[in-house]
Amino acid sequence: MRIPLLSMFITSPFSGLQEHAEKVKECAWAFQQAVECYVASQCKRFEEFRQEVVKLESEADAIKRRIRGHIPKGTLMPVDKFQLFMYLREQDNVLDAAEDSLDWLSYRPEPGLPEMLEKDFFLLVDSVIAPIEELEKMVIEARQYFKNYAKEQRNLVKGIIHGLRKMEHEADKLEHSFKQKTFELIKDPTTIFHMIRLAEIIGSIADHAENAGDMMRAMVAK
Amino acid sequence: MPQEYFALILGYIFGFYMAWNIGANDVANSMASVVATKAITIRQAVFIAAVLNIIGATFIGTHVTNTIRKSIVSTDVLTDPHVAIIGTLSALLAAALWVSFSTWKSLPVSTTHSIVGAMIGFGIMAGGFSVVNWFNLAAVAMSWVISPLFSIVIAFVMFKIIVKLILSIRDPFARALKLLPLFVGVTFFIVVLSFLFKTPLGQTLAIDTAAALLIAVILSTFCGITGKLILERIVAPNASNGVEEIFKRIQVVMACYVALAQGANDVANAIGPLAVIYFLAKTGSVGSKVSVPTFLLLFGGTGIACGIAMAGQRVMETLGKKITTLSNTRGFSVNFAAATTVLAASKMGMPVSTSHAAVGGVLGVGLAGGIEAVNFNIVFKIILYWVLTVPASAFTSMAIFKTLRLLF
Repeated sequence: MRIPLLSMFITSPFSGLQEHAEKVKECAWAFQQAVECYVASQCKRFEEFRQEVVKLESEADAIKRRIRGHIPKGTLMPVDKFQLFMYLREQDNVLDAAEDSLDWLSYRPEPGLPEMLEKDFFLLVDSVIAPIEELEKMVIEARQYFKNYAKEQRNLVKGIIHGLRKMEHEADKLEHSFKQKTFELIKDPTTIFHMIRLAEIIGSIADHAENAGDMMRAMVAK
Repeated sequence: MPQEYFALILGYIFGFYMAWNIGANDVANSMASVVATKAITIRQAVFIAAVLNIIGATFIGTHVTNTIRKSIVSTDVLTDPHVAIIGTLSALLAAALWVSFSTWKSLPVSTTHSIVGAMIGFGIMAGGFSVVNWFNLAAVAMSWVISPLFSIVIAFVMFKIIVKLILSIRDPFARALKLLPLFVGVTFFIVVLSFLFKTPLGQTLAIDTAAALLIAVILSTFCGITGKLILERIVAPNASNGVEEIFKRIQVVMACYVALAQGANDVANAIGPLAVIYFLAKTGSVGSKVSVPTFLLLFGGTGIACGIAMAGQRVMETLGKKITTLSNTRGFSVNFAAATTVLAASKMGMPVSTSHAAVGGVLGVGLAGGIEAVNFNIVFKIILYWVLTVPASAFTSMAIFKTLRLLF
């Protein structure tokens, strides 16, 4: 039962978007813990953290479906519905990539990460954590922009998007050097394959964050 | 005359049912945006709306009403008291049923158009097509398009102005305080003018346009300045969300006016026909105008208040689920557009409905990018119901009239 006129106001997709971004941010921590645990030889909790990420991913998926399922045809929003869905997809891909990289690690629990690659590996992982966490901030600030349409607020969002682009570039460079080191130092072909693929999946986390930023740029375009 | 008393009792029941429906369907017009902005709680909104509707109905509401609203049907159909009583009863019930149905479908319709349509149905049955004033009916049809369009434009422009002048600048609160007299002034200007032109009490005072404008300008200037002094004092401490806090107050004032005017204007939709039956039962004849006893107005106002209370119950259920909340600047734009549209259109002689104008206001702000999600699709459904209002209540009224004629 609803009330006349109030039926015109429907659930805002933006609050869902923010909720989704929060899930993505939460996953950053579990992802980092899992990766560190994988590298540390005596840590037995890798699986536990991986499961945490899997759980967050499925929760985020539910939010994604809820958002998509609750925008009826003809919904009037400050942004294009298509752009919103594209953004959501990229934001969701960030989580998927984090989960994928942990899955990939789990396929080869032994012998773990070669010691001479550890330093570069952690640099690479750290470089993708920041963009994951930045997404939530971007959504919150963008929401504020749609409230006041202020120039400063728009610049703030654009600044975050610009930051994401730079972070992706950094991550790219680190991925590059990690791959180079792998070929230089590792002789075992299986390990090389495992490491190269791992670097690519982790690197894609930053790619998707950047793509999300690009979609956001389109949404805040005048 | 036991039959007449039986008719009168039925009249009271149907009249109360109609008033109750007016409350349930129309409370949203004044209170929806205020509740959606969380300016006041639902309980407060229900209480304020109920009290103001009773006051509006009893004290500002018309004590002399046209027997047939908007003069769409010739009063010739009322010459035979027996037919007139049955016809008015049928019209009252038909209109109430239609409004009930729309409320159940959660679509805002015009209660005035419902009673107009129902009277047409009865008129056609009693006197043929010639009793209907088709020109006036065309004006009703035009209002379906003109009032929402007008309201969309005003809401759109108002919201853009607020964004441009206040929200988007570096220190919005300071700017809002500076412009406060302007916004409060404009609000009171519309409220005072509406009060003088729109409400039956204002019409009894019979102030001409120039004088009314003068009064409105003086009062709104005064209110603008005092409003600034008062609001500066209450809002200043929590300046973090100061702009919305300011507009929250203006919005509540506006919503109160809408509730009051609604009680004053819409009570006649339920009580007008009841008064006709009342006089037919008591005296056996009725003219083109009928004076409404105060206790009937109070009766109607109470009926509206009961409808509001039930609607309030439903709003609580709705808000339990998550809906997009409006900010106060948005809510203000919606209310302002609705009130201005109703004022301007009725000054031009159009039978506009607050429901129609309120829907337009929400759309206008939505089009300006002010609302995170508006269901545009439902608008087509709402418009369909507006168009259906007149024929649906007309046909229902015909059917009820036929049935009652067979019985009595």
